[in-house]
Amino acid sequence: MSDKKGGIDILDLIKKVLFTDFVKGLRITLGYNVSKSITHRYPDEEKWIPYRRFRGVHTLNRDEHGRELCVACELCVKACPTSCITVVPMEDDTGRGIADRVAKIWKVNLVRCLYCGYCEDACPTRAVRLGREYELACADFKCTVRNREELLLPQPVPESIEGGLVAKAKFERSLSGIKVTADLSATKKRAW
Amino acid sequence: MATIKINGKEITVEDNTLILDAARKAGYEIPTFCYQADLMGIGSCRMCLVEIEGQRKLQPSCITPVLHGMSINTDSSTVASARAGVLEFLLANHALDCPVCDKGGECELQDMVHKYGPRTGRHAEPKFKFHEKDYVLSQVIIKNSNRCVQCMKCVRVCREVVGRNVLGALGRGDHQEPTSFNRTFLDCDMDGNCIEVCPVGCFMRLPYRYKSRPWDLKGADTICPYCATGCRMVIEERDGQLLRARAQLGVGLNSETLCARGRFGCDFVNSAERITKPLIRHQAATWAEALASVKDGFSGKEGKHIGGVAAATLTNEELYLFQKLMRTVFGSPNIDSSSRWNSDAASAFIHAASMNEGGVSIFDCMEADTVLIIGSHISDENPVSEYIVRRISSNRRMNLIIASPRAMKLDSSANVKLRHLPAAEKAVLDAITLVINAGKLSEAEKLKAIKDSKMVDLLTAAGVGVDEITDIAKRLSASQSVAIVAGTEFLRFPDGTSGLALLKDVLKNLGKKVTVMPTLDRCNQRGAWEMGVHPSFGPGYATAEKGMDTEALLEAAMRGEIDALYVVGEDIISDYPDREFARTALSKVRFLVVQDIFMSETAKLAHVILPGASFSEKEGMFTNQEGRAQSIRKLLALPGKAKRDLDIIRAVGELFDGSFGPKNAVLVLDEIRQVNPMYSDVSLLFNNKKNSDNRLDNRAALVKCAAGVLPAAGEFASKAVSSRMEEHSFALVTGSHLFHLGRFSRKSETLLGLIKGATVEICEDDAARLGFVSGEKVKVKGKNHEVLATLKTSTGSKSRVAFIPESFEDAEVNRFFRRGEGVPRVSITRANQ
Ligand code: SF4
Ligand code: SF4
Ligand code: SF4
Ligand code: SF4
Ligand code: SF4
Ligand code: FES
Repeated sequence: MSDKKGGIDILDLIKKVLFTDFVKGLRITLGYNVSKSITHRYPDEEKWIPYRRFRGVHTLNRDEHGRELCVACELCVKACPTSCITVVPMEDDTGRGIADRVAKIWKVNLVRCLYCGYCEDACPTRAVRLGREYELACADFKCTVRNREELLLPQPVPESIEGGLVAKAKFERSLSGIKVTADLSATKKRAW
Repeated sequence: MATIKINGKEITVEDNTLILDAARKAGYEIPTFCYQADLMGIGSCRMCLVEIEGQRKLQPSCITPVLHGMSINTDSSTVASARAGVLEFLLANHALDCPVCDKGGECELQDMVHKYGPRTGRHAEPKFKFHEKDYVLSQVIIKNSNRCVQCMKCVRVCREVVGRNVLGALGRGDHQEPTSFNRTFLDCDMDGNCIEVCPVGCFMRLPYRYKSRPWDLKGADTICPYCATGCRMVIEERDGQLLRARAQLGVGLNSETLCARGRFGCDFVNSAERITKPLIRHQAATWAEALASVKDGFSGKEGKHIGGVAAATLTNEELYLFQKLMRTVFGSPNIDSSSRWNSDAASAFIHAASMNEGGVSIFDCMEADTVLIIGSHISDENPVSEYIVRRISSNRRMNLIIASPRAMKLDSSANVKLRHLPAAEKAVLDAITLVINAGKLSEAEKLKAIKDSKMVDLLTAAGVGVDEITDIAKRLSASQSVAIVAGTEFLRFPDGTSGLALLKDVLKNLGKKVTVMPTLDRCNQRGAWEMGVHPSFGPGYATAEKGMDTEALLEAAMRGEIDALYVVGEDIISDYPDREFARTALSKVRFLVVQDIFMSETAKLAHVILPGASFSEKEGMFTNQEGRAQSIRKLLALPGKAKRDLDIIRAVGELFDGSFGPKNAVLVLDEIRQVNPMYSDVSLLFNNKKNSDNRLDNRAALVKCAAGVLPAAGEFASKAVSSRMEEHSFALVTGSHLFHLGRFSRKSETLLGLIKGATVEICEDDAARLGFVSGEKVKVKGKNHEVLATLKTSTGSKSRVAFIPESFEDAEVNRFFRRGEGVPRVSITRANQ
């Protein structure tokens, strides 16, 4: 304040006359106008493939022999701050799982989940991991609960893809709902 | 007394107190694995090490008694590192597969390591394994020895408490595996007490395997619905299914023990066969329709043509309201609580066992110099009472006398075991009394008295020798205090009650302290009597207008004199000793209302069926055989449209009297307190308390003395059998099976898995004589009925006695009986002959 004490600030006056601030702002606007667009044309043409560290819809995983890793210990249930996972164990020694204890029921309520990843941390066998699926919008409450069978399906984005990509995508609307299918063979790095 | 210092705090305790107990008393917690009050101390796990000043080595506090002047440290750094060291060693070979271990979440090892343990282990060698896969030891037990901490509690509980000796330790050191011979159970009681005491996931329940985590379970502290021992237990559910029942250390008179029925038999409440809606002539109906139909059926009927039978498995509140309904609303004194024996037998038993004088604690009984158990196969009928008798009798000098026709597990703890003929309790007791009385005579007179023809008659009637009787009489005469445990045989053969009353008086006259404790086989039989569900007395054994008991009601029904009968929870056809008679009589009742949870044989004849609640769906109180009033707690929701029995009984009352009540269990209890002086002090708050010093005898729960005096019992004709029989003929007796009692157990999947088909038990010598082997199918043929059953032999039972348990549908034992004919004779032959 002290340097402004002498009445009109000369510097300010010059700035005003020369439209300095205006030009500064305009430069940014014009710059964006000619720079490369970073907006994804989602869902019509493109889809974002997140990094591996992304915390999306849960996945249940198998070991290299195809046995379920989940031993239905219910530790994820215990760790979950929103109580959105339900696990009911059962005995099955046919080799379905890595132990004779497997999940009879494993389901998660996706609208209660806050994607904190505590369940991942708690899991002693790394059976539950938060995946890269993030399209949760739907018109029916039924789809808010995912059960074991769905979560065990192979992931649309395989583990081998590191992520951080924009893939070409197709938006499909059908009676069973809407779907954005990414074409993983046509991807590009994110623009920045 | 010894004064010691624990962590600098001075405390005075009794001599010989264990350091552990003293420390706990002083308020310091010491972790333990192998210590358990009531079990022999073995000091094997070393978890409880403490530092005693002046001693270089740490000492296990669970087996070291205090010495005057000792100074003990329980939480020094040396102790802490010793504890961590013990745990590190325990974990060296421990499977540590907590995620798949059913104990996870309630495991003592987990808790200890969490609290005291090393955070890392240093053992790099591969872990030793007993086996790869969990192995099934019995239909209820699955075992994983890789998790064992070698505390030997399982072995000790099996030997010292259950008395079975099935378990032992194979191998040494950390390769020691507590298991059974051949890893299969030969003669196991299936009570799962080994599971309960095991601190880790080594012994596990098979029916509960991989069903849940402890934190998913919702529990209710309640009372076992089977026998009248009245064991306290916690039943636990997940998603509306009862998953397990467990006992708690230091809670209830049973502490951590239960029998097979209590621990594994409560799953009957989950049964799909439960009645879930009211039925009118076996068609589904609404409650309004069903009650309207009840109203029609009972309206305008005279009290003397109405009857009511309520099972001894209902709560006191329900039973009280039931008798109030019958007596005040219907004006009918015709009320009974059992169809297995008549009400005069019950009166005589109550009188002889002085039940009107208030509760008698089993722990008091076990303080006596001599305990005489008669008329009860206590090992099968009241298993946990038997555990208490075994445990205490092995720890003190006392006489244990068992008189029974059938051999039992407790025999091994007895000083004298007397095998008499069935239904000969009176002869046995009279003979003992005669000898005791003769003891006051001179030697010559005594000889004469014993040779007296009466004595000879008694001995023949009882089928026993004079020496055995004299031995018992001597032991009784030499005792300052005597406890007589009298069982249900006195109700089946009530002539014995006069013998019991006489012996009791004779001993009292000799200046001895005599206590009589009844043992009963329905969870609330005593409560039913004390609530006045009996045709000759009201609540608190108060004299009431005499009515008809079940037997008289059936006789009246036979004559077409019963217009309406209200049966709650009792299956008269299956229980009454003469099935055909009961069925014909009930079909002649003009209006039969049955309130039950299953479609019983009696319910099949009912005009209206009202779906009631199981013990897990209601609140209330049971009075056990000792006279302890204990509360049961609601855990589950009622199935379908079923209602609580109290609500149904009240709704029926309200049909005729709008103000009938009280309206809920709490208010009914208040009324019981007012009208029944025995229950004036009963509070259901005190009896769920845990006590840390293992004092299991909760005296506050014992009911008080009744106000009135019971009229003396009448005389009963003796139904004793003679020992002269043809080659294949046996005297048939019945009672509860170790795994089955009443009808509920027959709907328990787990118990049915233990034994499904009927058995007939005879003594080994008879089997050998007839060339039978245990396990083969035999035909049991009586005058009226014959069944196929699996033969079971027992060592040391009275010859010529066959036992068929009450509960099996494929051997409807009451078909062998005919009214007024006493003990039936049956012949046993090979099935294919
Ligand atoms: S991410 Fe968090 S909130 Fe969601 S299920 Fe896992 S633990 Fe629960
Ligand atoms: S997902 Fe993991 S933490 Fe959850 S129950 Fe299965 S094994 Fe246990
Ligand atoms: S016994 Fe306890 S520590 Fe051992 S695996 Fe089971 S839960 Fe874990
Ligand atoms: S099986 Fe259980 S109770 Fe038995 S010794 Fe091992 S840890 Fe102890
Ligand atoms: S002894 Fe009787 S009360 Fe105790 S658990 Fe067994 S059946 Fe239940
Ligand atoms: S508790 Fe003392 S040695 Fe095991």
